[in-house]
Amino acid sequence: MTDRKLKSQSQEDGAEGPDGGWGWVLVVALFVSTSLVFGLMRGLGIFFVEFVQYFEESAQAISWISSIGLAAQQFFSPLGAALCNAYNTRLVVMTGGFLSGLGLILASQATCLVHLYFTMGIISGLGWGLVFTPMVATVMANFTRRRALAVGLGFSSIGLSSFAFNPLFQLLVETYAWRGALLILGGLSLNIMACGALIQPECHSKASTKVDSQSRSSRPDLLQRVSSYLEVSLLCERPYLTYALGVTLLNFGYFVPYFHLVAHSRQVGFSEYRAAFIMSAAGVTDIFGRIASGWFSDLGHFRVVHLLTLWTVLAGVFIMLLSVSSWTGSYAVMIVISLLYGFCSGALTSMVFAVVPMIMGVERMMGGLGLLQLIESCAGLLGTPLSGWLRDMTGNYTASFVVAGSFVLLGSLTMTTLPHYFSCAEPPPPQRPVFVDNSETLNLELGQKDGCPSEFNHQTVGQRESTH
Amino acid sequence: MKQLPINILLTLATCRLTSSETVGPTPTPLAPVSTLPTNTKSVHLTGDNKIENVELLNPVNLSLECIWTGNQNKQPNITGYWRKGGVDIQDSRVPVDPENQQYKLKRVFNIVSEEHLGNYTCVFENEAELNFILAVPRIGEKREKPIVSYVGDFVVLTCKMEDNKPVPRTWNWFKNNGTDKEQLFEAQRYDITVDGRNTKLMVKDVSISDSGVYHCAAVYNISTSTSKMQLKVITIWEPLKPFLGILIEVVILVTAILIYERNHSKKKKAEANGPNADSKNTQPQGEDEEAEESTSIRQRKT
Repeated sequence: MTDRKLKSQSQEDGAEGPDGGWGWVLVVALFVSTSLVFGLMRGLGIFFVEFVQYFEESAQAISWISSIGLAAQQFFSPLGAALCNAYNTRLVVMTGGFLSGLGLILASQATCLVHLYFTMGIISGLGWGLVFTPMVATVMANFTRRRALAVGLGFSSIGLSSFAFNPLFQLLVETYAWRGALLILGGLSLNIMACGALIQPECHSKASTKVDSQSRSSRPDLLQRVSSYLEVSLLCERPYLTYALGVTLLNFGYFVPYFHLVAHSRQVGFSEYRAAFIMSAAGVTDIFGRIASGWFSDLGHFRVVHLLTLWTVLAGVFIMLLSVSSWTGSYAVMIVISLLYGFCSGALTSMVFAVVPMIMGVERMMGGLGLLQLIESCAGLLGTPLSGWLRDMTGNYTASFVVAGSFVLLGSLTMTTLPHYFSCAEPPPPQRPVFVDNSETLNLELGQKDGCPSEFNHQTVGQRESTH
Repeated sequence: MKQLPINILLTLATCRLTSSETVGPTPTPLAPVSTLPTNTKSVHLTGDNKIENVELLNPVNLSLECIWTGNQNKQPNITGYWRKGGVDIQDSRVPVDPENQQYKLKRVFNIVSEEHLGNYTCVFENEAELNFILAVPRIGEKREKPIVSYVGDFVVLTCKMEDNKPVPRTWNWFKNNGTDKEQLFEAQRYDITVDGRNTKLMVKDVSISDSGVYHCAAVYNISTSTSKMQLKVITIWEPLKPFLGILIEVVILVTAILIYERNHSKKKKAEANGPNADSKNTQPQGEDEEAEESTSIRQRKT
């Protein structure tokens, strides 16, 4: 029985995944850590006003803090992935949690704006980068059939925590001023270390399989090891490049509504509260979209890539409709479009990550995700200023939204050029060629065996039982 | 030049009539009556409106007029008079005759300083009345929550007069000292900046005694308009308490997780080694088997 189960697991697109049990604990860890990374980042807007008043700087100078933080998170993602491949995922995530908390704690003592750039921006951003990609990759590695649902559940925390954090941060700032509030937030961020502790150390250490990438040299040099940890070889493969391009185009347009929707609604003529409510409506359906699309894709009726294309096309259309519908001036119409947009945008987020192992295989997922985050960071950085510039040129947001929507549609078009796109069944994912140097791997494995978690022992025990 | 003596005479005349009591610092001397501008406020009583707000910043001759359209009774003569602050104004009773079915009551008030501001009421006896509230422009935004700052840090208190209201001549800052208000001046620890409609008070090197209620006052020729805010100074210990609480919680969680996992893996190892414990011969073979099987699994996966 167990033999057959092991065989079928290994034949299923190279994925190993117990699909349950400890995996769900990791989903909770992903939930908490994602909320402490992205939910926190979104709530930092509350400190904006305080900083402007205290440091007497322009709004643009202050907004660089969160830009640097986000950019650092995405820039250091490949580093986090590489470190996980080289060392222990648990250690990397716990370090990341510590750094993100440290950054905020140090920021509470800042005396000038540059301090904030450095602490809240770079140190915390580095910490977030070391946390996010490894956690996502770990959860995805632990699931096969329910992968999209697990990821969707984990990401739903972003929307929920934005709701919870905004009033909480407001309360903290009113009670303790921004210094005390940042100190307490730093403490809260340290909870990521607890999430990291839940990750079990890997049994089949990637270090052993990666060490032998070159059969010629018995001791591969540092550069080759680093490039294999970073999965740089992925950059030479067409499917990955196509996907990265598609996601980049997607990111150009994806963030635009989040930044400009409220301003656009105000310009159309709605009051502050009504405009904010339009944004909240999108946020609520975003949560449902993530979970629902994850659940639906796991049912297996459609291929994940097709679902991704569906949601991105819909999202692009709705972004464009957001600006067009405002011509009617009707509040109800804008709310409806905003709800639909939120659902599609949340839905596509789950799919974007779930597609990754299909393209590159579960083993290379860690490094692949890291590189992907880095590549899409450029788009995220450029997309919003571009739409702002369009608005300044044309005087309203119609052009910005239409351009953003068209970028999203362009991204989905690019994804249709992925290999085997139009086939109905999942193609086998590409394998990275590995030259196995038997003697070395054997020694390394025996050395690692003592650190093995229970599952692996279980499998071997099961095998022995079946052969008896 | 010829007009000067006449102006002085008029000023002296009005000085006797008006009260000489002035509250608070008056930056400018009283302007002569004849050079004061005249403003007129004319309001129809509709039965719905009871209050009319009048914003004043400079001394002015204010002419207030109430127009009432009467009712079914169509009385020939009505007595009208004025009240200030609820008290009848002497010699203000006049009979009012209707002209074109309208009763008009008009009076000119000399508004030069703060005590002339207030609540003026025109009364058509036993029939209708209307309140004119004469005041300086109010400072719009009120900060109800206290501003928090830390010992040793600096804090900036701001006040702003809205864009649709006139620009004050200058701003003053006060701090509550017991029951009095004590004015703050540019000193070592205080930095006051005035910029048209905005003003900032920076308190440097804050200490606990700096806590309290502060007032910013927008000074106009006629009076000042104030707004208050509360400053609360706390030590670093305040936020440190919840922070340490969270720190302890994180340490406990992490330790618990690590201990749980160690116990769990020890249990699993004990179970795994259980069946092997009896036969020692199979043990070395078993280990090799495991090693071979693990490599074969790995090879199958790759």
